[in-house]
Amino acid sequence: MVRFILNRIVMAIPTLLIVSVAVFMMIRLIPGDPAQLLLGDLADPVELESLRQAMGLNQPWPTQFIAWFNNVLHLDLGRSISTGQDVLPLVWSRFLVSAQIVVLAVLFSSLVAVPAGIIAAWRQNSATDLVLVGTATLLVSIPTFWLGLLLLLLFAIKLSWLPVVGYVSFSEDAKGALLYIILPILTLFLHEIGVLMRMARANALEVLRLDYVTHARAKGLSERMVLMRHVFKNSFGPTWTLIGLVLGNLLGGIAVVETVFTIPGLGRLLIDAIFARDYPLIQGCLLFTATIYVVVNLLVDLLYPVFDPRVTTE
Amino acid sequence: MEERPKERYKCCQVGLAALLLSIGAVFPQGQADATTLRVQINADIRSTDPGINRDATTDSVVLHMVEGLVGYDAKGETRPLLAKTVDVSPDGLSYTFHLRENVKFHNGATLSADDVVWSWNRYMSPKLGWRCLPDFDGRKGFRIEEIKTVNEHTVLFTLNHPNPLFLTTMARSDCGMSAITHRDSVRPDGSWDKPIGTGPFKLKEWKHREYISLTPNADYVSPGEQPDGYVGSKRPMVDEIRFLVIPDLATAKAALLQGSIDILTRLPYNEAAELQKNPNVSVSTSSLLASFALLLQTSDPTLSNLKLRQAIASALDYEQLVQNVTYGLGVPNNSIVPISSPYYTEAEKKGHRYDLEHARKLLKESGYRGQPLKIIANKQYTYLFDSAVIAQAMLQQVGINAQIEVLEWGTQLDRWQKGNYQLMAFPYSSRMDPALNFETIIGDREKQPRKVWDDPQAIELLAQATEEPDAQVRQALFAQLHQGVIEQVPLIVLASQMALDAAQKSVVGYKASIFGSPLLWEVSKK
Amino acid sequence: MNSPTATSQPIASTKRRRMSTRRLSTNALIGGSIIFVVVAAAIIGVWWTPYDPLRINFGAKLQGPSAQYWLGTDEFGRDVLSRLIAGASSSVWISTLTVCLSVIAGTIIGVLAGFIRGWTDRIIMAFINALLAFPGLLLALGLLAVVGANKYGIILALSLAYTPSVTRVVRGTVLSIRQREFIESSRVLGNSELYTMVHHVLPNCIAPLTVLATSMFGWVILAESALSFLGLGVPPPAPTWGNMLASARPFLDQAPYLSIFPGLCISLTLLGINLFGDAIRDKLDPHMNKGQ
Repeated sequence: MVRFILNRIVMAIPTLLIVSVAVFMMIRLIPGDPAQLLLGDLADPVELESLRQAMGLNQPWPTQFIAWFNNVLHLDLGRSISTGQDVLPLVWSRFLVSAQIVVLAVLFSSLVAVPAGIIAAWRQNSATDLVLVGTATLLVSIPTFWLGLLLLLLFAIKLSWLPVVGYVSFSEDAKGALLYIILPILTLFLHEIGVLMRMARANALEVLRLDYVTHARAKGLSERMVLMRHVFKNSFGPTWTLIGLVLGNLLGGIAVVETVFTIPGLGRLLIDAIFARDYPLIQGCLLFTATIYVVVNLLVDLLYPVFDPRVTTE
Repeated sequence: MEERPKERYKCCQVGLAALLLSIGAVFPQGQADATTLRVQINADIRSTDPGINRDATTDSVVLHMVEGLVGYDAKGETRPLLAKTVDVSPDGLSYTFHLRENVKFHNGATLSADDVVWSWNRYMSPKLGWRCLPDFDGRKGFRIEEIKTVNEHTVLFTLNHPNPLFLTTMARSDCGMSAITHRDSVRPDGSWDKPIGTGPFKLKEWKHREYISLTPNADYVSPGEQPDGYVGSKRPMVDEIRFLVIPDLATAKAALLQGSIDILTRLPYNEAAELQKNPNVSVSTSSLLASFALLLQTSDPTLSNLKLRQAIASALDYEQLVQNVTYGLGVPNNSIVPISSPYYTEAEKKGHRYDLEHARKLLKESGYRGQPLKIIANKQYTYLFDSAVIAQAMLQQVGINAQIEVLEWGTQLDRWQKGNYQLMAFPYSSRMDPALNFETIIGDREKQPRKVWDDPQAIELLAQATEEPDAQVRQALFAQLHQGVIEQVPLIVLASQMALDAAQKSVVGYKASIFGSPLLWEVSKK
Repeated sequence: MNSPTATSQPIASTKRRRMSTRRLSTNALIGGSIIFVVVAAAIIGVWWTPYDPLRINFGAKLQGPSAQYWLGTDEFGRDVLSRLIAGASSSVWISTLTVCLSVIAGTIIGVLAGFIRGWTDRIIMAFINALLAFPGLLLALGLLAVVGANKYGIILALSLAYTPSVTRVVRGTVLSIRQREFIESSRVLGNSELYTMVHHVLPNCIAPLTVLATSMFGWVILAESALSFLGLGVPPPAPTWGNMLASARPFLDQAPYLSIFPGLCISLTLLGINLFGDAIRDKLDPHMNKGQ
């Protein structure tokens, strides 16, 4: 087990290194630099030069990269050019905001989608199945940002039930915080139900065909027992993998939801950083996101045996 | 038995609906203390140290807490602020500032000449990174040679050569108004703590990314009797100002309509109509000392043709373009001298004439063969994008093959800096004097590709205007420069920018200012 | 990522099969019809739309749906219906090119990795995994800022974002069948590696690739709209459904129909693609639903 974890960490290192180098180079290839953006049309050559110097931008790229990487190894991701704050605490606090929404959304949608998918598979081709699959397919087809906009229009603007101003942290005002995250969670929840339900159904269908299910039925086990004991456990595995994938991807794709609902999350941070050419912040954000992705996948694979004891980590 | 799982699913749906409904009942009204002024800013400020690591938003907040020797009045002219009077020697090299007496800092200390010298020495130290250091340390040719105290209430500045724009530069908001702060603003280790200034408000709390809270300076004495920009009456009339960080416009607007925000500034033009209809909101506008223009790259092979540029200038229906882009709030202005500038006179009103026939004639004479012309714009500034779209349509009508290229702002700025474009819709920032407005477009293009006009005569005229102290003479020089712009068409100025602000009706005494940032003194809440 | 799969052999249930055949043709029918309408609109849109989608008409600004303008006009007085049709052309063109590019590139790389194995495989997969660890949207963002936000920049950026998925599927398929006997026999017979690859390996990739490609059309359309929404899609004034949604945002309460119609188009198109994709997947191999 420990070997497995270590092995995965070692395999992740080249990935993270490639990501770092690629990001570092790519953002410097993008036209425009932070000094220019800060000064805008008030920039004249003298001021630009002195600002670039202060930011360390006129040093050769390898020097800049080595300096940055060295700091990373000491867990110092540098300081954001556009906000003046330290990158790591900033990225971490924004990550918590995004994670809160993503995790809750995926959690709730799994609780609904997995049983629903199994039911749909169980009752394949019945009216129930059609309705469930139809709903799921419909939900999957609606872009999250459009759905979010519509929900915002309905609940916040037309009905005024929910506030429109972005976000308040739980530590400050628990009741208020709840209100602000309902709509984003609802948006993601609705979308992920579609994705997960279809997957759960497909996997359950797969398992239902297997001969030990027929065997269990032949043995005289009730439908419910068959469902619970065999189908659920065996179809959850691949679904669990997908949940991991979804979680990982959502952290990147959540940017659109954050834009619609003005949530100060990681997605929005990265986009703003790109627009501001905030090099340290962009590098820090992407390295962090890549690391999270690796960690999530690792956790998913580690927890897989919990759902499917036949699989051992090899 | 088969019903159970389905029921569970239905339960969830019902549960969710119940949750939503109950929350509707518990929805808090979000009302704050009656005398807290809640103002939206669209990004967090960068620091509280005036003129260091700043942007426009930062300046607008910080200038409520600090003041400099001079400041701008409501019309944008430079007047004494912390100074009572300023004496300029006949040779223009010595400026003597007589300070006002009994001006108190936030910590109760009284302003003295020592504080002025301390602040200025701090700004002039290279390590600090003061935004305006290059303007005063000789890198641009102008240098403050010496700053010294004459007596407890008098400071003497000695310059290396006369500069009629010295005080105007000192009062700039991006210099932090060259604010005089108390030495306790800095910690013993030399790092910045918080601004202990002389302004009507002081810093209470800065909660990063959420809000900045200011409270009144109890000892504040206004420099003037009547409200007059930064130099008139500036009494703090609310218990607290809270600048809330709300980056998204739609959110901020909804917050205003719901009542959780009191003031919104710099709204896009299309919001005016709807807000004006709202009985709870009052809308104010102000012309700014900034313009937006269509730039033409005269070194481009196609556009180097003067007749073609003039054809373009004649093909645009300025009335309709500006009307639509500003949703009726602005008026066309082909001069880079802003409409609200004291130097804007009849001469500046003469601009390009919209004449399709004339345009077509010029086009034919120019020998234009249908080469594509790209107009660069970006979506972040809606009015710029709209201008490009409309200009393209108008040019197509005349037979000019205009195309639009939409870039992201950072990329567009880079192209502007390098002069790498054919046509570009571009916003110029506020400048407090027409010489500075012209300076943004006139210069040696070899050294600074961002300048659009390098006519030697223009460069000469600009140099004269910058050094000339007499207002009448300057007026004549600006008129000549404007004439040159109209004839040679290195750019087509479309209009002066407007600020559109909205406030709750319960807010008394607030209106949009010429500076494009909110002035929150003399403002109260019912 | 290791995706353990069930190892027992499935038993086909005839009754269920027959019923799913009936159902899958419904999926194919509905999905296919929607796709047909969209593609038809896209093709027609290249030559004709009710009004010029780019023509500005201030007199008709922000009008709701009427007899003259069936779906209303936008803030420049342009006809929404015409712009939606033109947008369809854009979406179809971009997604088709992106899918083709990704499939070709991904197949080549995947076959190379799966066939050659060894260090080539490890290096390729390291890069592929690095690409996958990048949030796709943000990869596109960065690339677009470098390359320039135009149609072909977007196609390039999105292809780069989706090639890894294709590579993975192809490589997985290659790995799973290279062990099989007929590959061995092909080698024993003296056929070159290339021949083996083309004639035996590739045909087996077609089925999973088709399923993936069908989904990809949907992903690309969604990605382009999301990018436009964030401000970096196909630049206006050329209409795409995504940038129409983005432009409609300031007018959400004034003119909600501007936000509803483009979103509806995207949703319906994706629905059609998903239904059709389900039908194809069911037909080609019902056991392939795990190919994510």
